[in-house]
Amino acid sequence: MAALGTARCLFRSYSRAKNVQKSKQMLARCTTRTLCSATQDNALSDGAKPQFTDPAVQDILTRITGLDLQKVFRPIKQELKPPTYKLMTDEQLQQAMESAKEEAKKLLQMPPVLPERKPINDVLSEDKILDGMDTAKYVFTDITYDIPHRERFIVVREPNGTLRKATWEERDRLIQTYFPKDKRKIVPPLIFKEENLKMVFSQDRHEDVLNMCLVQFEPDSSDYIRVHAATYEDLEKHGKYELLRSTRHFGGMTWYLVNARRVDGLIVDLLKRELLQDAVSLVSLFHMVHPHSESAQEAASQQATGTDLLKIYAQKESQRAGYIELALQAYEQIADKSSAA
Amino acid sequence: MAAPIQRTVRILFRLSSSTLQPLRQYPSILQRLPVRTCPGLPLLVPPSHFYCKAASLHEDAVQAAEALSRYKDRPWDYLESEEYIERYGTSPVWEGYRRNHKGGIPPQKTRKTCIRGDKICGNPCPICRDPNIIIHHQNVKLLQQFISPHTGMVYDSTQTGVCMKQQKKLNEAITTAQDHGLLPFQIPFVEYSGEDYSNSHDAVGTTPSPPSLTIGDTWYKWYSEMTPDENQVAKVKKTYKAYLK
Repeated sequence: MAALGTARCLFRSYSRAKNVQKSKQMLARCTTRTLCSATQDNALSDGAKPQFTDPAVQDILTRITGLDLQKVFRPIKQELKPPTYKLMTDEQLQQAMESAKEEAKKLLQMPPVLPERKPINDVLSEDKILDGMDTAKYVFTDITYDIPHRERFIVVREPNGTLRKATWEERDRLIQTYFPKDKRKIVPPLIFKEENLKMVFSQDRHEDVLNMCLVQFEPDSSDYIRVHAATYEDLEKHGKYELLRSTRHFGGMTWYLVNARRVDGLIVDLLKRELLQDAVSLVSLFHMVHPHSESAQEAASQQATGTDLLKIYAQKESQRAGYIELALQAYEQIADKSSAA
Repeated sequence: MAAPIQRTVRILFRLSSSTLQPLRQYPSILQRLPVRTCPGLPLLVPPSHFYCKAASLHEDAVQAAEALSRYKDRPWDYLESEEYIERYGTSPVWEGYRRNHKGGIPPQKTRKTCIRGDKICGNPCPICRDPNIIIHHQNVKLLQQFISPHTGMVYDSTQTGVCMKQQKKLNEAITTAQDHGLLPFQIPFVEYSGEDYSNSHDAVGTTPSPPSLTIGDTWYKWYSEMTPDENQVAKVKKTYKAYLK
């Protein structure tokens, strides 16, 4: 009983100590932004490594993607019906535009970026008594309607008697057989082969490829990641970022390039189209993801914002520093002229 | 006057039948060639004229046979050639074709096939009437002519006039071309909401293997050597002593 009491006291004191420690850390974070940015504090505040699903990251990516209603709602080839005409007041038109923007935001929802799934190779039973009983594998699938596909049990009985869980490819095939999704094929279309991909990229149909990939593959499968990587590489090589702007894939592409530290082409493209704010947000995202890089440390030390961030990035990190600085100069000149006039 | 004419006519026809026999191999090609009109086969035409005509027809048949194979390997070359432009211009291949049927309303399905064996029917469909038009999944320009530019749907055979066999081939070629990525098509929108990708459930995650396997045993105890308990064996032997040898 006494031991219990002491244990309880110790526990309470320990928790209090923990709380005190935490509050101390919080105070430290709030009061001083120390010069040595490579301390544990900063790493803790960033969450060790910003993920794709972080709200800050998502916010930046949605802002960079833009919202061009003309592109999002461009006419698609579908069953035609006669057009409808509505007579609206200005207010109703405003409301219609707002609802269109909401609809566009839903259409620009970014597909998930996940690490590659680990292969399944679990043996549930080894019944040697069944060895040689049959020449074919038997696959048993649980076809209960209401369970998510990731919780569905699919097992395979091999001819040598082993009962194992089905691999990811087998799972995808069987789930498509019993619960077919629209336009998803059991055998992936030949467009995802290397030669056909190259041919489609030469026709500038990257968005179509990515949409087909979303329909066909699961977000954590190796094929999905491979096709996305190939598409983003091709876009970066030719600088065709405009093809994906205002689509749901722009965020994914930006995230891939930021993680690969190859944002120069994208920044140059943004500056060419005079989207300075977007370039600044992109550089801040870069610093968020790579806090230990030179430009991130420099920016943190100088508390830079706006065009200064771009200048620091151009000096420290970029390979095309000249172009970025020229563009910044031109922008400043235009800004001065407009403020003067 | 009538009798000698009749005799010459009979002789001429016999001759014509004998000369036309070697050409029976290519009756379809004969029909597909531009019609050589000899207005009202004159009865007093000398037989030599027939021989020349038969020879030239034979040459044309051979040329047509070569033309059949000229675009076989690269069917998309035909759509850039002069003869195609001369024959069709910029309009699609099936434009201007009119089906022959009884009554005002055409049947719901076009004919099953225009070519049966070597014989070709009268008024063949737009694809069968031109042997250079080959349906192939890489022949994108031709396939595009059979897809509506506004809705992206394949035209029905009643609209274009093609026979059912060619329509089936056309549908297959279009799906293959879309598979390869040569033809664009509308892709549905995929929703990503409320799905858990953690892969923590037993169905897709790792299940720990049973302790017997981790120790190094076999799956079932009786797979490996099992030595029976001596006392139990003795007891059983004692009870069945009368029956044991």
